Amino acid sequence: MRNTIFSNRPFTVAVAAGVLTLGTLGAAGIGARKKFYSDDPLWTMPRPRSVVNATSRTLSEYYDFFENTLFPPGQRAKHTGVSLPSQAINTVDEVPDSAWYTNRHGSRPMSLEDLKQGPGDTTPPAAGVWTVIAAKNEGVTPGFRIRDAAGRQYLVKFDPLSNPEMASAADTIASKFFHALGYNVPENYVVYFDRSRISIGGGSMLKDGSGKQRAITERDIEEMLAEAPRSADGEYRVLASRLIPGKPLGPFEYFGTRPDDPNDLVAHEHRRDLRALRTFAAWLGHDDSKALNTLDMLVKEDDAPYIKHYLIDFGASLGSASFMANSPRDGNVYLFDWKSSAVQFFSLGLYAPKWQRAEYPKLPAAGRFEYEVFDPTRWVPDYPNAAFRNENPADRLWAARKIMAFTDEEIRAIVSTGQYSGPAAEEWVAHCLIERRNKIARAYVTGTSALDGFEIRKDRLEYRNLAANAPAAIQIQWSVFDNNSGQQRQLPGERSFQLPAADGASYLMADLKGETGPGVSVYVRLKEDRKAVVGVERHFGSIQEMN
Amino acid sequence: MLKKLLALTFIAAASIGGPLIAQEDSRQAEIAAGQDQKAADPKPVQQNKVERALIRFKEGTFLGRFSNGLGGFRLKAGGLAPGTGFGIGPEYRRNGLLGGELDFHASAQASFRGAQKFDLGLTAPKISGGRFFADFYAVHHDYPILSYYGPGADSQKTGRTDFRLEDTAVDATFGVRPINHLTLAASAGYLFNNVGPGTDSRYASADQTYSPAQAPGIDVQSNYLRVGGFAQYDWRDNASGPRRGGNYFAQFSDYRDRTFGLSNFRRLDVEAQQYVSVLNQRRVFALRAKSTLTFRDGAQPIPFYMQPTLGGSEDLRGYRPFRFRDDNLLAMNAEYRWEVFSGLDMAVFGDAGKVFANKSEFSLRHLESDAGFGFRFNARNQTFLRLDVGFSHEGFQVWVKFNNIFKKGPVHTSSTMGDF
Repeated sequence: MRNTIFSNRPFTVAVAAGVLTLGTLGAAGIGARKKFYSDDPLWTMPRPRSVVNATSRTLSEYYDFFENTLFPPGQRAKHTGVSLPSQAINTVDEVPDSAWYTNRHGSRPMSLEDLKQGPGDTTPPAAGVWTVIAAKNEGVTPGFRIRDAAGRQYLVKFDPLSNPEMASAADTIASKFFHALGYNVPENYVVYFDRSRISIGGGSMLKDGSGKQRAITERDIEEMLAEAPRSADGEYRVLASRLIPGKPLGPFEYFGTRPDDPNDLVAHEHRRDLRALRTFAAWLGHDDSKALNTLDMLVKEDDAPYIKHYLIDFGASLGSASFMANSPRDGNVYLFDWKSSAVQFFSLGLYAPKWQRAEYPKLPAAGRFEYEVFDPTRWVPDYPNAAFRNENPADRLWAARKIMAFTDEEIRAIVSTGQYSGPAAEEWVAHCLIERRNKIARAYVTGTSALDGFEIRKDRLEYRNLAANAPAAIQIQWSVFDNNSGQQRQLPGERSFQLPAADGASYLMADLKGETGPGVSVYVRLKEDRKAVVGVERHFGSIQEMN
Repeated sequence: MLKKLLALTFIAAASIGGPLIAQEDSRQAEIAAGQDQKAADPKPVQQNKVERALIRFKEGTFLGRFSNGLGGFRLKAGGLAPGTGFGIGPEYRRNGLLGGELDFHASAQASFRGAQKFDLGLTAPKISGGRFFADFYAVHHDYPILSYYGPGADSQKTGRTDFRLEDTAVDATFGVRPINHLTLAASAGYLFNNVGPGTDSRYASADQTYSPAQAPGIDVQSNYLRVGGFAQYDWRDNASGPRRGGNYFAQFSDYRDRTFGLSNFRRLDVEAQQYVSVLNQRRVFALRAKSTLTFRDGAQPIPFYMQPTLGGSEDLRGYRPFRFRDDNLLAMNAEYRWEVFSGLDMAVFGDAGKVFANKSEFSLRHLESDAGFGFRFNARNQTFLRLDVGFSHEGFQVWVKFNNIFKKGPVHTSSTMGDF
């Protein structure tokens, strides 16, 4: 099938489409290409090429909202109910390490300490004076940039008066989760400070509401602090986010590729790590996961500059909307949605969708966060984006497996980094995350989808079953697979998990079927010294071939 | 153009992909070839004209400059009495004077219908950490076409006339916030009044139609010394777009006729607003009841231009502004609002009210009423635009306002026309 449409950015998409024929990882055999190369499955992307003349750019929030809401960009399936295959994955259906993503928890289990530490080396602002070097007194969350006594720079953001602890806890907790899930994020810390530690640096400037740059005054600091909650002992609690090293290039978009980045080969709307971000964002209630909350940084590795892609600003995660508690509609319906708006308009509000009847405990520090009404299959961010729209069942399954890797204990440990002063908020947030994790698992990891961790042990195909209710029976059929032609020759009668004898064959293929869930093809490379699984394909019927 | 680009790209991909596949048995090499191909021809990130314009608009903070002004100056729009035209003019504002305690503003506005307004204010909003506040306000109006339909509830729509009101008010207020949500204040001021013939050629001037017996003060006007105070308890969740809570206030003023001493009176304004929400605040019932009662000194009349008025965008939305005037007033409003999407609430409403001469008529009988629907446009939970359509037996009215239907509190520095 070639039922695809193209965005209003033809060049970007055209380049991406062309590159796909070269660089799609794990694509089914195309023409005369081998299905598996000698280095498959690839777990790390090749060393990035040097980026010269990287363009720094800004993104208009209004444009991004209207474009994604009214004129969706990026390539996507034309018909509802079908989706395009994922890319930037390897032959075993996993995401290799790259400038976008690093396999962490879920692939390589992290210790409780590592999970709590998150990115960086645990460096909250040092004791001593904080020198304010820039500030903004307008926008959703006013705050300032400081330099601590050790010379490190941090963005400092406050909680709303109505919800002490809420945004700072959400920002910290979500950053740890996204880090453990594999994304690049800034180091975020909850810190307390006394007013006496703040001093204004010489030449520090503030951009006021009229766009005018002027020197920061003591009154500016006082006015910002006046709108910030204080603890019982008079200290201010803030979120300190350490500045990411490198040169900021502005946000990345959820579609197309950067034309100035030679390492950015796969259209973002097809990247699994961005598509599956929808399910991660759903779990963590990160409805503000828009392009504006991402950041491309030009960094150097061995003197070679390349672009590293970050997720930033998680203040609107969990039950927080940064400057207030979440609206009940957050995560349940877009800010603007034709269908739901029409229903409300014509029904005079007499129709009340389920999310409007959700119940929330009165915990200001937790904002509005719940799990009863939460439906991972229907969860939406504030407004659509091309990658989230393209998320297919394989992407969801991959994300669900990562989320299921978090135990209750690990979830509670990460939530504790939010430093809630009361146990009720901490307990509720952890409870919600555990229940939301379970819902995601129940929604996506069922039947044969639950089969994971394929490997050959003692000439036998072994796997793990991630679901509590294991499929009653898994049927298996072995074939010989020709890597050059893509042809398969069934081996009649070979219906056990023991590797069949296949003289002269280099590859075997096992087709696994159960009562429910997609069929799974597992490819085994036969070498004298080692027999190994090199390919895993899950055959979701709704995923169409890429043109 | 798209097809051409696609074709070129596929040709380029195929030409590189062919030999590569023949030469390499490596995924790494395949991807590296793609990187090298793109590295050979990097292109800058491009944005289209609309996006660039929006970025310039945002970075230029035009909206901020419009609302906050430049060098203290900004354009002030709206705020004149209904029916007198759209007022616009410069405003100068300086906040944080005297070590940050004092805010100053002054403005001059005019409308194409000939109305003028000049005002000046000095406010210390947060004395002693916000426990106290002080306010000085002076305003001058010249409204040449204010509507007058005659006295009382029985006035006729066809009886519409107009008159000119020129007034100047100078008031000082001092208040205290003893506990959370509660405000108490006392004020004193002087009010200069002058009434003349209206200038709207479509209507007769009030003085040609109504006698001084019907419209006291239409022939000669009085200046007033007024002293008073108010109490307000406000526990709305969000003053700019309330969904829950209440706002209750009472204001008492004593008006002393300093010109003739023949029209002394006292005025009591009470208002209660209640916001009840259901379905996670996606449905809001907004209720309001208000009454203005006046107390004469003996048989001394209250000038018609000082009487409470009913009708218009703030109370009886199916009637024209200032449709009814008399010594006392009772009004009630009920709105049912529901969220259509995050930036828009819709509303259906019903209004009822009456004016009356004697307090013995204070009852729910003989109320004028209307009903209608409206739209509330919100940004960040603040209503910035209100569109209401009200229907009554006198026809329908369309209102486009930049405020909420119910006012935020007592106007402790009002002029003759109250808020305007």
